[in-house]
Amino acid sequence: MTSALILLPLGAALAIWLAPLDRLAVVGLALAAAVAEIALWIATVIRFDLDKSSIQFSQQASWFKDLHVSFHVGLYSYSLWLVGMTVIVMAAAIAYAVWAGRERPRAYFGLMLFLMAAVVAVFEAQDLLLFYVAWEAMLIPLYFLVGVWGGPGRAAATYKFVVYTIAGSLLMLAAIVVYGVQQGTFDMTLTKGSGSMWLFLGFAAAFAIKAPLFPFHGWLPQAYRESPPEVAAVLSGVVSKTAAYGFLRLGVIEFGGPSQDVRNVVLALAAAGLVYGSLVAFRQPDLRGILAYSSLAQMGLIVMGIYAIDLGGLNGAVLQMVNHGLISGVMFLLAGIVERRAGTGDVARLGGMARGRPILATTLLVGGMIALAVPGSTTFAGEFLILAGVFSSGWGWTAVGAVAIVLAAMYALRLISAVLHDRKGEAVTDSARDLRLPELAFVLPLLACLIALSVWPAAITSHSFGKGSERCRPLANVLKLTPGDCP
Amino acid sequence: MIAAAWICLLLPLAGALAITLAGNLLPKRIAGILATSSVAGAFAAAVVAFVLMLGDSPGQRSHVSTAFTWLSAGSFHAGFSILLDPLSMVMMMVVTGVGSLIVLYSIGYMHGDNEERRYFGYMALFVFSMLLLVQGGNLLLMLVGWGLVGLSSYLLIGFWHEKPSAVAAAKKAFVVNAIGDATFAVAVILLIQQTGRIDFGAFSAISLGNGGVVNIVALGLLGGAIAKSAQLPLHTWLPDAMEGPTPVSALIHAATMVTAGVYLIARTHSVFELAPHVQDLAAGIGAVTIIVAGLVALVQTDIKRVIAYSTMSQIGYMFVGVGVGAYASGMFHLMTHAFFKALLFMGAGIVIHALGGEQDIRKMGGLRRLMPKTYAMMLIASLALIGFPLTSGFFSKDAILAGALARGNYGAALWILGMIGALLTGIYTTRMFITVFHGDATETVTRHLAGGGSGAAHSAATAAHATDANATDDHAGHARAHHGEGPRTMLVPVAILAVLALIGGFIQVFDWWTGMETWLESVTPALHQPSGLQEAVSSIAGPLMGLLGVYLAWSTYGAKKDTAPRPWALLERKFYFDELYDRIAYGPAATLARLFTRVVEGPLVIGSGDALGQGTRALGERLRPLQNGLVRSYALLIAGSFAVMAIVFLAVR
Repeated sequence: MTSALILLPLGAALAIWLAPLDRLAVVGLALAAAVAEIALWIATVIRFDLDKSSIQFSQQASWFKDLHVSFHVGLYSYSLWLVGMTVIVMAAAIAYAVWAGRERPRAYFGLMLFLMAAVVAVFEAQDLLLFYVAWEAMLIPLYFLVGVWGGPGRAAATYKFVVYTIAGSLLMLAAIVVYGVQQGTFDMTLTKGSGSMWLFLGFAAAFAIKAPLFPFHGWLPQAYRESPPEVAAVLSGVVSKTAAYGFLRLGVIEFGGPSQDVRNVVLALAAAGLVYGSLVAFRQPDLRGILAYSSLAQMGLIVMGIYAIDLGGLNGAVLQMVNHGLISGVMFLLAGIVERRAGTGDVARLGGMARGRPILATTLLVGGMIALAVPGSTTFAGEFLILAGVFSSGWGWTAVGAVAIVLAAMYALRLISAVLHDRKGEAVTDSARDLRLPELAFVLPLLACLIALSVWPAAITSHSFGKGSERCRPLANVLKLTPGDCP
Repeated sequence: MIAAAWICLLLPLAGALAITLAGNLLPKRIAGILATSSVAGAFAAAVVAFVLMLGDSPGQRSHVSTAFTWLSAGSFHAGFSILLDPLSMVMMMVVTGVGSLIVLYSIGYMHGDNEERRYFGYMALFVFSMLLLVQGGNLLLMLVGWGLVGLSSYLLIGFWHEKPSAVAAAKKAFVVNAIGDATFAVAVILLIQQTGRIDFGAFSAISLGNGGVVNIVALGLLGGAIAKSAQLPLHTWLPDAMEGPTPVSALIHAATMVTAGVYLIARTHSVFELAPHVQDLAAGIGAVTIIVAGLVALVQTDIKRVIAYSTMSQIGYMFVGVGVGAYASGMFHLMTHAFFKALLFMGAGIVIHALGGEQDIRKMGGLRRLMPKTYAMMLIASLALIGFPLTSGFFSKDAILAGALARGNYGAALWILGMIGALLTGIYTTRMFITVFHGDATETVTRHLAGGGSGAAHSAATAAHATDANATDDHAGHARAHHGEGPRTMLVPVAILAVLALIGGFIQVFDWWTGMETWLESVTPALHQPSGLQEAVSSIAGPLMGLLGVYLAWSTYGAKKDTAPRPWALLERKFYFDELYDRIAYGPAATLARLFTRVVEGPLVIGSGDALGQGTRALGERLRPLQNGLVRSYALLIAGSFAVMAIVFLAVR
């Protein structure tokens, strides 16, 4: 089941590349594969024991036996949620691309499906080398997706993105090799963890750049602006989560000691990113800019939850990873929809689109409100748990987070109003129509997931690290769990 | 009883969902009827629950019902639960009772607007949110309701979203309330850290040695309360919120949401009692707000803003009430205020409606003869606001003042401020009332009402008025504006409220018949019991001050009808709060954001990456001559390297 989740999109990608299909067939195959992947994930959830914290659906095949490297995949409960978020957001992005009619469909949809396989593999890999391969495999499709189908400044944006990312991931490769050799195995379920600060920093470099964490986000604004909107949605919603997942799975769990030692540094960077990103977002002149910096802020919040090194913070972070993946998807896709209608994402030239476009107005309002974490939304639930969790590291972090609640309201309301309210912008014509059925088909499912999670956020927070004593085994070495947590 | 409470909570939600999802399939008229009936149904459910609760013995009236676990992590669990006790019962009745009257009134008021459905969807959403706030069984769920009423308030203030001032007002309301949400959230987080609990009984579990924690929790809650209830210094959003449709002002910004802060303090009174200084602070903030808002109300020229400042001032009384531990009196005034203030807004709405969207009282006058019914109802509302003997405001306001006297010296100081407030109330109410209804009909009035015999002429006037900067989009849409005082759907709810405003105070008559006090006894027992003398002094002095205010205003404005007050800049600029916040909060934040964008983001973050890239490229350029293709230079390089390495190895050994 776990390998099927990787092989299905990979196979579909190969089929699209190799078989001489016409556009219709390519599009049909891509959509069918995306939907089948979601169905496969649902089937996995049904058979998954959510109360267990140990690995499930583990599948292993030997690869380089001498080096103790194997093709080992499996799922923890928290990775299950991340895989789910991935397949849903990717499916929406693919549907968007279908609707937008991307040129060279065989290349394009093959790359999207390949990317999906790579991301799922990152979340499922239980072998360090496999993790690294999947990690780098994400870069290949992204390189082309941004570089070929992007906006006018795509060349520079791609170049910067790739160089930044590779700089980080080479450090991680070095760390992986040393760590694997030290441990005598590359299998992440067998490694015993390490206290080496240098190894930790090697991993952290890759994650800090990919997330990105302040101030390693130099690549972010251009990449998010120049990508096609659905690729920006995937970059900000899905790909960034691989880094947050890395901080959780490899940072906190494998390197408990060093994580504790640098915790305040990471928290400081995360908090700085949270406030800084929110403030800069408020000044951005365009929709993508606002979303890009809000993404920086939200990644800060998520990393804050992880480095709270507290059960509440971790649960909040997992929930928030899923939330942010979905909400980034909604917001970037809606931004793309607006840009296609107005021909620009410049907020000064937009406005007044609510009149006569009730569906666009409603979806953007709901999305924006969830993005700013209005109390009662699932993003609020995640934020609340994170801020409650980080309190044990110092009340100051919670206070900073509370300030960010207000700042988030400021930039999100600015975005909503810039598109929907006030007088009609010069770029908005009467021919700009309301959302149509195909657009609803990819926006509504994402919103529906978010609303469902808002009704019951405990679906994830109660089922991410197992129940009772189950929960304690993988986390006991990093968390100072109270006896009440481990009955 | 529990089932009735759940029905009460969920009916308005169902209404909101139905209206939103049905979209254009739903006829406009049905949307209004659906919203009204869902809120009225909630009221019926609340009444059923109330009657059933009456059957319980007074000590057994608190019920918690949990549907499922909403959020959990580790040992922390937050249930989706409701709390039904006498305190939430009072609020449920007020919210759904007054709410259904106002939604019914809206059917007439919003008739002809292009987006009636959206309006009624939002209204039903608001009532649900407010009920969640009131019925929430733990602090987290209450915070959820707290945030959702802020959301609905934002949506409704900015309902006419093509008007930039309305959008700005909506955003301001949301952001200021987000500050309150944040402090509220911090208080809840601190409580979880200390006790691991979020139920309303958790405060007692805070270890008593931890005075600082108690104070911070209480301060956090108070922050939420003053933001939501528009008390100083987080009050600036409320006057601007008058950009919304008038029934919204009546429901959200007068009768229910803005009083939520009072409810919050009453609900969490145990933590305030553990932190007496914070409770005193709450009372002090209330008292200062009474005065400041009362003064500003004196010079406002927009009828809705006069009432808005009056609302702030009246909520100040409620804060004094709950701040001195007279919780039942605070809640009592909350209820009567809901009656007479909603009435006042709805009366003003009829006036505004009849005048094609005009809100400037300087352009009104002489409406007494033209709108006799409205006149009568506004008179009742004004009398209740002033605290005229035997009206509802009389009993409740004086109960608070008596409670303040019972609090000792600090209470006496509050009492004096409250008395000055009563004087101010008398002045600004009378000024507004006689300016609008007495004197001669102005040109605006005659244009809309006196000559409005023929429908054609009237529509022409309305259409002409639509181009006026003051006219809002909805009124432009009202080609068939109502003649005179509006349809029955508007007048009937107003009449019902008028009756309530007149007699609603008899729930509690001094200490002879203490309906409210007894009802809330088990939840919020009063801290101090006023003596008969204190009751008497307050009940005599209060109305006297109010009538003195009436006299002063009458002699000033009535004779000369001098509606233009002396140019008193401090008051006209509303004590410069907006300017101050622009200076100290918004300005610096914007500057910081600009600084970050220009100085840090560009040159440092992106620039450093670029510099690194260029540096590498430059390095490559420098090294390129080495790859010159000449074998002899490679040979030299290799030999040289070997030599260096040999020396190094030898030296190390």
